[in-house]
Amino acid sequence: MTFVVTDKCIRCKYTDCVTVCPVDCFYEGKTMLVIHPDECIDCGVCVPECPAEAIVPDTDPQAAAYAELNQRFSKVWPNIATRKPAPPDAKEWDGVPDKYPGQFSEEPGDD
Amino acid sequence: MLSAFADQCSSPVPSEVQIAALVHGFYAKVRTDAVLGPIFERTIGDWDPHLAKMRDFWSSVMRTSGRYHGNPMAAHLRLKTVRLEHFQRWLALFAMTARELFTPELAEAFIARAENIARSLQLGMFYRRGHTAAEGSA
Repeated sequence: MTFVVTDKCIRCKYTDCVTVCPVDCFYEGKTMLVIHPDECIDCGVCVPECPAEAIVPDTDPQAAAYAELNQRFSKVWPNIATRKPAPPDAKEWDGVPDKYPGQFSEEPGDD
Repeated sequence: MLSAFADQCSSPVPSEVQIAALVHGFYAKVRTDAVLGPIFERTIGDWDPHLAKMRDFWSSVMRTSGRYHGNPMAAHLRLKTVRLEHFQRWLALFAMTARELFTPELAEAFIARAENIARSLQLGMFYRRGHTAAEGSA
């Protein structure tokens, strides 16, 4: 089992998760973060930290659509281990449903 | 699964003193254990830095202190003599120590985290990286 970042992260990217993750297993894309499934040790510390409630266990029905995306992009996006400011319009995107089709980007995040 | 996880999120938060007591009490048991003792003695070498690292690890997990940063999966993948039954022994000693030291509520909070992490490490070590299920119970 591992934890999975879902589309609720898209354009919110609060990054509270990365400060508490003991194993630095978050990777940053332009519009969202993902978890590297081979590095996550399932401690669950990140889950309650996410203001957007974007992180779920892979046993959660919401995870199915995003597990492969987490696996794929954690191998190509840069690691993020320190918090950075959320986008200025993060709150406007928080809770918006189905953000993946219009707002997901394969581009890596800024270093 | 979700309800068990929700329980973890609302579980009590131990102090650093309690974490140190657990880590030191647990590894004292490990070092005298007939099965685990020799494995850890071969691997750890210098115990003081390891105990400090484990205090940081459990502080990060139970107190979200962010003090530990490392890659325990990679560290465990290097251990070629560790088998599934060693995890069972590890968890039994850990649970025994937690229940000796803490209220049932706090002890179970530690044990639940340890079980999740152990399961994740086992998946990585025995099922994901070219090991065969023959090493397990299958």
